Amino acid sequence: MSLDKARNRYIPMSETMFYILLSLREARHGYAIMQHVKELTGGRIVLGAGTVYSSLGKLEGDGLIESVAEEDRRKIYKITSVGSAILREEAARIAELYKNSGGLL
Amino acid sequence: MKEKRIVLFPAFRKLVPANLEDWLERMAAEGWHIDRVRQWNSLWMTFKKGEPRKYRFVCDMQFAARKDYRATYEQFGWQYLGRMSSVRVWRMEYRDRRPEAFTDRDSVVQRNRRFVLAVSVSFTLFLIMIIFYAVQLTCFPDSLTESDRTQIIAVDALFSVFVILLGIVMLYIWKNRQR
Repeated sequence: MSLDKARNRYIPMSETMFYILLSLREARHGYAIMQHVKELTGGRIVLGAGTVYSSLGKLEGDGLIESVAEEDRRKIYKITSVGSAILREEAARIAELYKNSGGLL
Repeated sequence: MKEKRIVLFPAFRKLVPANLEDWLERMAAEGWHIDRVRQWNSLWMTFKKGEPRKYRFVCDMQFAARKDYRATYEQFGWQYLGRMSSVRVWRMEYRDRRPEAFTDRDSVVQRNRRFVLAVSVSFTLFLIMIIFYAVQLTCFPDSLTESDRTQIIAVDALFSVFVILLGIVMLYIWKNRQR
């Protein structure tokens, strides 16, 4: 998927998608993604199997991540260059949100 | 001989996936267990009496599951019971926090959307048949005998009932898509 199309589809993205992409800067399988996200968010976000499976399918289909290896029928995924670009743009958007909401807290 | 209980048309009584899951959970809590799910279980399910257990069930419609589908669920601790048509049934025993397979709004809605999509296939097929017969009746009436005509009208009426029912089912699941 081209960057423009991916941008249209993924920005802004859900927390789930954001954290999955963030986790996949390192190669991981589904369960490891869940553990990593749980740790990052101090247990606030615990991704379920169905959510991880369907999100990975969608991200892979759109070329934001790719499967790099397979062990015991588990696929290991990693972010692609398109995925990294989208993740950075989303991070910039969130940083702007953060900056502009500073006065509220 | 273990005590058994047969329930007819479980998948048709509990059309919304979340309702089917909750019902299986209530059955297990009363000690009624189904340990294997097979093709025909949408028509009837046989439960065996055992110890009451706290299980969370998940029904997931997957038309073409990738090969890491099962491994992903199993690694999260889900036990695969089997499938009826494309509906995969999973369960997990729990104590306090009820486990979820779909943990954000998007994926819950997507899960329910896949059920609506499955129903829409039959819906569309029946609709095509209705239109086909209707065209035959109105555009080529001379090619039909009186009894042909009666039969076609009867079949068309029956299919129309199916289409209306399937339409209601789709609407009903869609109204409950957030669950």
